[in-house]
Amino acid sequence: MSRFYHFILITFFCATPLYAQLDSIQELKEVLILDSKLNEYASGYKLTKISDTLIERNSASLTDVLRLNSTIYFKENGYGMVSSPSFRGTNAAQTAVIWNGININSNLTGQTDFNTISINSFNNIIIRSGGGSTQYGSGAVGGSIHLNNDLVFKKQHKNDLNIGYGSFSTLLGNFKTVQSNEKKYFDLGIDFIDSENDYDFINLDQKNENGEFSRLNISANAGSKTKKGFLSWNSNYFVSDRNFSGSITAPSNDNYKDITTRNLVSWKTNRNKLSSTLKVAHLFERYRYSPNKEKEFFFEGKSNTFIGDYLLEYNLLDNLKISSVLNYTYINSEGSNIGNNDRNTLAAVFLLKHQVSKKLSYGLNLRQEFLNEFKNPFLVAFDVSYQLLNWYSVTLNGSKNYRVPTFNDLFWDAGGNKNLQPETSYQADFGNKFTWKNFQFQLNAFYITSTNLIKWQPSDSGLWMPINISEAENYGAEVSANYLIAFKEHQFSTSINYAYTSAIDKEKDKQLIYVPYHKTTSLLNYTFNNISAYYQLLYNGTVFTTTDNLGIVEAYSVSNFGIDYTFQKNKFPIKIGIKLNNIFNKYYENVAYRPMPNRNFQTFINFKF
Amino acid sequence: MKLLKRITYVLIATLILTSCSSDDDVVTLPTCEDVIDGTVDICVLLTENPDNSLGLEDCDGDGINNLTECENGTDPTDSFLGDFQNGLFVTNEGPFGTGTGTVSFISEDYSYVEQAIFNNVNETDLGNVVQSMGFNDGKAYIVINNSHKIEVVNRYTFESIATISDGLDNPRFFVSEGNFGYVSNWGDPGDNSDDFIAIIDLITNEVIETISVDFGPENVLISRGKLYVAHKGGWGQNNIISVFNTETNTFLTTITVGDVPNSMVILSGSLWVLCGGNPEFTGNETNGELVEIDVDSDTVSQTFNFETTEHPSGLTMDDVNLIYSLNGAVYSKEASSTELPSASIISGFFYSMTANDGKLFATDAADFNSNGTLKIFDLTTNLEIESIEVGIIPGGVYFNN
Repeated sequence: MSRFYHFILITFFCATPLYAQLDSIQELKEVLILDSKLNEYASGYKLTKISDTLIERNSASLTDVLRLNSTIYFKENGYGMVSSPSFRGTNAAQTAVIWNGININSNLTGQTDFNTISINSFNNIIIRSGGGSTQYGSGAVGGSIHLNNDLVFKKQHKNDLNIGYGSFSTLLGNFKTVQSNEKKYFDLGIDFIDSENDYDFINLDQKNENGEFSRLNISANAGSKTKKGFLSWNSNYFVSDRNFSGSITAPSNDNYKDITTRNLVSWKTNRNKLSSTLKVAHLFERYRYSPNKEKEFFFEGKSNTFIGDYLLEYNLLDNLKISSVLNYTYINSEGSNIGNNDRNTLAAVFLLKHQVSKKLSYGLNLRQEFLNEFKNPFLVAFDVSYQLLNWYSVTLNGSKNYRVPTFNDLFWDAGGNKNLQPETSYQADFGNKFTWKNFQFQLNAFYITSTNLIKWQPSDSGLWMPINISEAENYGAEVSANYLIAFKEHQFSTSINYAYTSAIDKEKDKQLIYVPYHKTTSLLNYTFNNISAYYQLLYNGTVFTTTDNLGIVEAYSVSNFGIDYTFQKNKFPIKIGIKLNNIFNKYYENVAYRPMPNRNFQTFINFKF
Repeated sequence: MKLLKRITYVLIATLILTSCSSDDDVVTLPTCEDVIDGTVDICVLLTENPDNSLGLEDCDGDGINNLTECENGTDPTDSFLGDFQNGLFVTNEGPFGTGTGTVSFISEDYSYVEQAIFNNVNETDLGNVVQSMGFNDGKAYIVINNSHKIEVVNRYTFESIATISDGLDNPRFFVSEGNFGYVSNWGDPGDNSDDFIAIIDLITNEVIETISVDFGPENVLISRGKLYVAHKGGWGQNNIISVFNTETNTFLTTITVGDVPNSMVILSGSLWVLCGGNPEFTGNETNGELVEIDVDSDTVSQTFNFETTEHPSGLTMDDVNLIYSLNGAVYSKEASSTELPSASIISGFFYSMTANDGKLFATDAADFNSNGTLKIFDLTTNLEIESIEVGIIPGGVYFNN
């Protein structure tokens, strides 16, 4: 009997869907989440976990996973090329990517290219909707994406090998080993992909030329429980070599290479009601861009970030917890166009969470930064969650957020503007969550107003310069629904996400470019014994390409279908599968004049031992 | 009912046509779909825009549009060469990297405007970054920088004739003499050693020869059998004019001018070159210069210096005046005057300026990511007389007369 339940549990998690709400997952004691703030100080926020199944199925990139399974919109310059998110109508620099609690958006561009994130390296990916600058710093305006390596202190020896091959000479593989016991944890992951990416442009006598890419990611995480806490180390090394593909009207001969490394050491000690966590981190990024890959000439830039972070947590009462964080960040950036510059920032953060009753909790966050040359705004955030009925709860949060100018904005030669100030924004989010047995429904409405937005525009001398000039007002609604039905060995599940986003450039009173009003993703999933099949549908509404809203990229919908089969499920499971992308072979563009792939397939084989 | 309606239209239209057909200002926009019965002796004309003398459709299908042809179905004595015969073109660069540039047409009296005429006529995109345009005989040559090609079209109908791409690499400007076209090319902008002039045989539309030149060739101009190439400097800064013999296609000489020669004109028998000077960000800021070159000896005869922080651009000419843009204003200098003017004639920052027939045609690229505007100023009053929406990043104005 217990085995049966176990089976059900496993299939539930595998077959479910899109995602499960965080709080519906029992937090197991042996799981150690390095970014403790994420769960503890966000009760009034919408957190969405990307399930492991989804990660497995879209193993090419974080762009693919989120594009197909969230309402975040991606502006991808052709498949596999630079991919910038728009979260709730904000821009890529206003979407923070957080790696084990640390903001990893580039110091040079302010954003993370989602095609440079290897998803298999993480065991817990969470989308946090809404502003999070008080906790995560610059850029957490529309929302943040959290990439976590949770440490699991239980006896296990797991090895997972996955090899895939697909259209356009795409070869991918990843290997992950986890070795742990009740005291120690270690994992090592290697992940690579290499693709010619030379897909045909449907109905055009053209191919995606100069679009080859390859990526390699190595990650290692280790942890050890101490008497009163733990000590851990996380590291990630990423190398990518891409040619930047041309568009329909312009060929390209570019090449772009980038490297990032990340290291984090955390040491936590608990003493009665007090606990402290000391973190030390180093981040490195470097890019090298060649306008003509056959020649020696290139532009380059690199940046080093050193972070020291001290978190002190105190349980004032059983249900009232306060924390303070002191975070010192030193950044040094250097490059062909930005000279050699550095920045010191000291941030002081105060966090409070009060679980008033089982049903009601609220939180308050404050942040102030010092040392750097900006007029640093004082940031505040509050959040409330209340369980009104057994099946209905509401959440509310409001915050002031910011984004600091990037080193490119400040120092670019020519045009960089040293007088730039941080962008600031206010946002509010109201959420409703309904849960009936196998059915979940969530509705969120948001509002964001931003000022001092940095925009590059030509000055009177014709030189392009960034200035704090634009204002934007975003509002919209997000709906998500999940449904699961099980009948004997059959399981059906379905998930739907929809977002309406209005993002208005207040100067022109027009929708911001590359923000769709409508986006829908849906997934239909069917599992029977060892077989699992699914259908994905993405609808992306029309986006504007010019600020007068006259140029557009037309709306599109794309369907994918996949099926997999597992042999010897209980002993030495081997899973084989195939995924067909764009099954109706539809022409679509994500960025104007940059067609996306025609019908294509990916196959994979997975061994667990 | 429908038939009745159509007959009424025809009657009205015929009335209008017969009553004013001798008048060229008639306002007739024929739509031949409405021809009543397949025989083409009556063409429906609808009044739409009272100032419109253009936009006529080709009723008899001979490829030539004529006002009279709709009356009698033929056009025996037709000097009408195409929809775009009289008026001006504006080249719009279009968004960089991800789109297509366009050419806008504006009729001589500014009453008729048509956007994206190449795209409309040929039902295909023109290409990425429409840099400039040149003419030879009945043909126009549209230089498309980032697509590395030149589209050859009939200058009156804009029908595509040929595409020249072999032998071009980041082409910038086109000029022609006789059966030869000369095109400045940057090559790889990051490489200062691969810049060249491509010589095109305009009969075969092929690049027949390339001449290596110093880096950053930009504007080109032909005067009295000589080709002048201004080396603005591409991604960097250069300071020379190179001169070629267009009969032998051989190099003649190099003239050193000020830094960043960005525009030039021939006026009063001299070549005038406007140099922007090195911008501040280079760390070696230099002043702008207006340089007069004697075209017999190809030597500098006179130089006017701007202040070190002044970087003029957009030299054009009207009558005896040299007109240029500086610090968000337009200045006019009589060629013979011995000093640079201190007062401006028009204020505004323009992306390109072209003077013609007593008027200044200045383009405003706005935020470079939405449709721009062509502004027309009367150079006797210096007042704006027209403002016309054109395409994205309007960079050049050309007259089709």
